[in-house]
Amino acid sequence: MEYPAGTVRALLQTDLVTPATRAALEARLAPQTDYAPQFFDADTYQLLRAVAARVFPQPERETPIELAPNVDKRLLEGRADGWRYDAMPPDREAYRLGLGGINQAAQAAFRQDFVELTTEQQDVIIGQLAAGEAPGENWQQVPQDKFFEEMLAELAESYYAHPLAQEEIGYVGMADVPGWTHIGLNELEPREPEEK
Amino acid sequence: MPDEETLEEGTLTPLQPEIQDPLLREILEENDLQADPSRNPLEQPAPLPDPSDEVDCVVIGTGAGGAPLLARLAQAGLRVVALEAGPRRDPKTDYATDEKAQNFLFWNDERLSAGQNPVAFGKNNSGTGVGGSTLHYTAYTPRAHRSDLTLHTDFGQGVDWPFGIEELEPYYEEVEHFLGVSGPTPYPWDPTRRKGYPLAPLPLNGAAQLMERACGKLGIRTSPAANAALSARYYQEGIGWREACTNRGFCQAGCNRGAKASMDVTFLPLAESFGAEIRADAYVTEIERDATGRITGVVYEQHGRTVRQRCRHLFLCAGAVETPRLLLLNELALNSGQVGKHFMAHPGMQVWGTFPEDIRPYKGIPGGLISEDTHRPQDADFAGGYLLQSIGVMPVTFATQMVRQRKLWGQPLRDYMRNYNHIAGINILGDCMPHASNFMELSDEKDARGLPKPRLHFTAQENEQRMNRHAEKLMRQIWQEAGATDIWAFERYAHVIGTARMGRRADEAVVDPDGKAFDVPNLYICDNSVFPSALSVNPALTIMALSLRTADKFLATLR
Repeated sequence: MEYPAGTVRALLQTDLVTPATRAALEARLAPQTDYAPQFFDADTYQLLRAVAARVFPQPERETPIELAPNVDKRLLEGRADGWRYDAMPPDREAYRLGLGGINQAAQAAFRQDFVELTTEQQDVIIGQLAAGEAPGENWQQVPQDKFFEEMLAELAESYYAHPLAQEEIGYVGMADVPGWTHIGLNELEPREPEEK
Repeated sequence: MPDEETLEEGTLTPLQPEIQDPLLREILEENDLQADPSRNPLEQPAPLPDPSDEVDCVVIGTGAGGAPLLARLAQAGLRVVALEAGPRRDPKTDYATDEKAQNFLFWNDERLSAGQNPVAFGKNNSGTGVGGSTLHYTAYTPRAHRSDLTLHTDFGQGVDWPFGIEELEPYYEEVEHFLGVSGPTPYPWDPTRRKGYPLAPLPLNGAAQLMERACGKLGIRTSPAANAALSARYYQEGIGWREACTNRGFCQAGCNRGAKASMDVTFLPLAESFGAEIRADAYVTEIERDATGRITGVVYEQHGRTVRQRCRHLFLCAGAVETPRLLLLNELALNSGQVGKHFMAHPGMQVWGTFPEDIRPYKGIPGGLISEDTHRPQDADFAGGYLLQSIGVMPVTFATQMVRQRKLWGQPLRDYMRNYNHIAGINILGDCMPHASNFMELSDEKDARGLPKPRLHFTAQENEQRMNRHAEKLMRQIWQEAGATDIWAFERYAHVIGTARMGRRADEAVVDPDGKAFDVPNLYICDNSVFPSALSVNPALTIMALSLRTADKFLATLR
């Protein structure tokens, strides 16, 4: 149910998109493979990348959408989204403890750090985390279910804000300059391509 | 020493040679300006207000609580200044049709959410910028019902408002006509209204059509909803023409056309046309008083400077978190012990489903369809009631809410999100009762300014839980009837209400029925913090109506 490759990139070049919208989306299209972490140390950053790669596996993409840079930048700048579970430590501490807890769970199950595991083994650990059943002493200090929920929501926000992920789910709402007149059930505008 | 005449000849070459070539002169002047921005007239900071200069009224906050009364006070000829913590932006050029890029609309300073049902803030319900939360409200503007104000009389639970609906009706009419609300006339659940909506309803999107179809089969009445977005071009004195809605579906992340009636395109330009001054990026930190307890002025931070503005009267309209926070920080109006107490949030449970039809949920006014048949359900085991609405949704908002509820990850997450164009939702907006265990306090944790972060405790009580169960069952039934598969529910709470309640007695409330503080002779409060109970409808229209009423009550005291 996705749009053909190139749909959103092509739309961005048209007058159907406002300059402010184009600027926001094109900035996100620039590859971030070479991003050097500024908040996390190198090992923790690679751990976060590895976790993000299991939450959003992208085997079909030559260059996967990188989700870890946004987390690193946000924590470096100390930006918040308006609220935090009172049961959670501050965001920087929560990520440090939560990622550490993921390694503890990996050690408990496979006697190796998370990044050393096979993808199947990594999925076992993420599955434990999602079920709130991952072992590790760090979970005494950060509630596992809330950590997973917050991390999942942050990664999902980054992923689905990316133009290629929006293309993947058939979203072309950014091409709104003329407005929408065909808005009812099964009504499409010419610029809303049929799904694949 | 040269003699006098020689000297005079010498002065023919002035110290600064005058450049004759206009182009060269322009280039040199530009270089000068770049080297010294303080000489550039466009880069000059706004002149500082004279600290001894006293204005009639300062209004803190430019959202639904502050903007209407700002306009009213300015129209009455008073000298008024509004202080807005956030920036002033031009929606036409600065707003992107992109959820993440629009995060600047939300109050993103961290609030701590405690209790059994911690409330999400930020994009869920709090705004910043000239226009406040109306910059990202959905524009859903049903009126409160007569019985919403008499819960205690009717059910023996909660509290009554200190006045009846008659007090709000004329203001509802005025606000609906000023904003250009699009809605059904007659209104199916209140057919005897004196005045209908000024504009016809907006068109229904896919989710609205699905809900309409299923409710029809189940015998539930529906109607296109009242929305403060223009279904046709609209003219108002003091504002000019506003263009019609183009069904961008982007209300919750900012309207770039001025079709949605946010305060920045309605009451605020009206206020400015009558001489009100709006200062953006002005974050109030202190409220100053004299020995008698009378407010003399406020202190705010703006562009790194500390500024004092003296005033004869203060209107606090900063919303149900920042209003009590300012009162607590300044130890103001605390005698009743009610500041921060009775924090309420509307039960806003959503039910989502996947349909064979093509829906494309990003199109059309998000809250297209309404039913108020559930305002007082026959089979209810709870007090009060709720409304039902269809919902459109943008992809990032949908994805983040969905993962919080369903905890999907990996391939199942990507697979589910590929159904986005076939997903539609309905939700409720239910009444919430004040309860002692739900409150706001200052925490020990400090924000970037060194001020205590607010902590909000919220636990849905028995009444809210029963309402949720009733609503979830009904919404699942509607979506099954509509043909949905993979139906799931998301329990959530929206809007920030209470914390500086209005009442008749100084030992039970912070403000009197006119919105005036009991403890402070020249302080008025007007925003959702003064609501004694939450109402079974979205709050924005009622806040605006209350704002005009508060202004009129105040103006009456000057006569």
